Amino acid sequence: MNAIEIHDLHKGFEGFFLKNISFSVPQGTVMGFVGENGAGKSTTIKCMLNLLKKEYGEILLFGKDHVEHELSIKNDIGVVFDDLHVPETLNATQLDKIMSKVFQTWDSGYYFERLAQFKVPKRKKIKELSRGMRMKLSIALALAHHPKLLILDEPTSGLDPIIRDEILDLFLAFMQDETHSILFSSHITSDLEKIADYITLIHNGEILLSESKDALLYEYGIFKGNSEEVNDLPKHAILRTRPGTFGIEALVLKKEVNEAFRLERPSIEDIMLFFVKGSV
Amino acid sequence: MVGLILKDLMTIQRQMKAQAFVLVFLLVMAIFMQQSSMLLAIIVFIVTIQAITALSYDEQSKWDKYANTLPISKADIVFSKYILSVMLMIIGLVMALPILFFINFFTNNETEFFLTFNLIVTLALCSLAVLLPIYIKFGSIKGRIVLIALCFIPGFLTGMFKEYIPDMPQTFLYLKQYVYLTPFGGLLLLCLSSLVSTAIYKRKEF
Repeated sequence: MNAIEIHDLHKGFEGFFLKNISFSVPQGTVMGFVGENGAGKSTTIKCMLNLLKKEYGEILLFGKDHVEHELSIKNDIGVVFDDLHVPETLNATQLDKIMSKVFQTWDSGYYFERLAQFKVPKRKKIKELSRGMRMKLSIALALAHHPKLLILDEPTSGLDPIIRDEILDLFLAFMQDETHSILFSSHITSDLEKIADYITLIHNGEILLSESKDALLYEYGIFKGNSEEVNDLPKHAILRTRPGTFGIEALVLKKEVNEAFRLERPSIEDIMLFFVKGSV
Repeated sequence: MVGLILKDLMTIQRQMKAQAFVLVFLLVMAIFMQQSSMLLAIIVFIVTIQAITALSYDEQSKWDKYANTLPISKADIVFSKYILSVMLMIIGLVMALPILFFINFFTNNETEFFLTFNLIVTLALCSLAVLLPIYIKFGSIKGRIVLIALCFIPGFLTGMFKEYIPDMPQTFLYLKQYVYLTPFGGLLLLCLSSLVSTAIYKRKEF
């Protein structure tokens, strides 16, 4: 079963459109959702959560329509935005009391364990917490009702590497249960390399690719050479090219290229740059 | 719903504490001036208006973006603000009444008390019925501007149709006998207002 399935999603604003967005997140996997700022990641996520109304298209979460079954779906998801959107005069203990009235499955014990693990002060007002602390609190809030799906919209942006690593470990622990899934939007591609099973790349409101991370990293290669050398590559093997430091760099399908060509292993960042800035 | 009301009460708790000092000051003033209705009006309005404060805090923190990811219906999110404001008004009245009886006991102007009480409650309910949809639709900054604009409308209309309005004191005397009905009218208006607010909120995007 797919935890998330999106078919043909369209949403338009003045000067920006989401066009034909289609991808799915199989249950038990982590989908990295990458793209530059303004590419449409947050808009897609907001459409999924019905914070924005889609123009047309189909969005299924756990196989159910996201509007028709909105409340039952929202019982099973945890959402983390790039900031904690709760009134700043509240503190973590008050949030526990509030959330225990919102979710039937709210687990105060688990919530306070996470706060202790992250050293988040229980009685300090949110406005007095650092950005890192706010994000940790936000993640504890998203996890404490034991959701099946986490939807994370840039949860690690603006955080230092130590905190990011701690947070990624927590997500990996969440994935120990094979019925759990994560949609992780980020432009910090190194985070996704650590945690994602699949990568979906969005650019200018369109999906450029949606594939398994291993397929991307092991089936694609980067060839660096001058224009003549690049011309020797089989045409059908070249996915994208871009100007490099010493000539031209080409993203190629490894298995279509003779072993005589020395290929480098790409990172997700390389692939993103080839697809966004390279030419066909 | 309970969670939402609890959240609002916790959010405005501090604000209420700060305003308690103002209330104590007003209480002393009201006792000296023997003005029980002034005290009642101020207490009811200060307490009731806290629902608007809660809305401003929500707006500042983009709470609605988060609340709409939780298993809470949009109607409940709106309705909780109405229940909160009526709850606060009742709390305000419960707080104010013993003091009022105390003042009235010494001043003996009970005859007008019932009239004033009804009018104040009605006015508070009507203000909420107008304020809440405006704040939900426009947010606290634009809402304030719309509100100021709205304040001029009654004056403007009165000026325009002065000749058609019957003799004011006479009309008031006639209406006075129905004053006990006005809080129910206010409540009805508040119910209608909640339907309008829900319709507005359901069309909003976050």
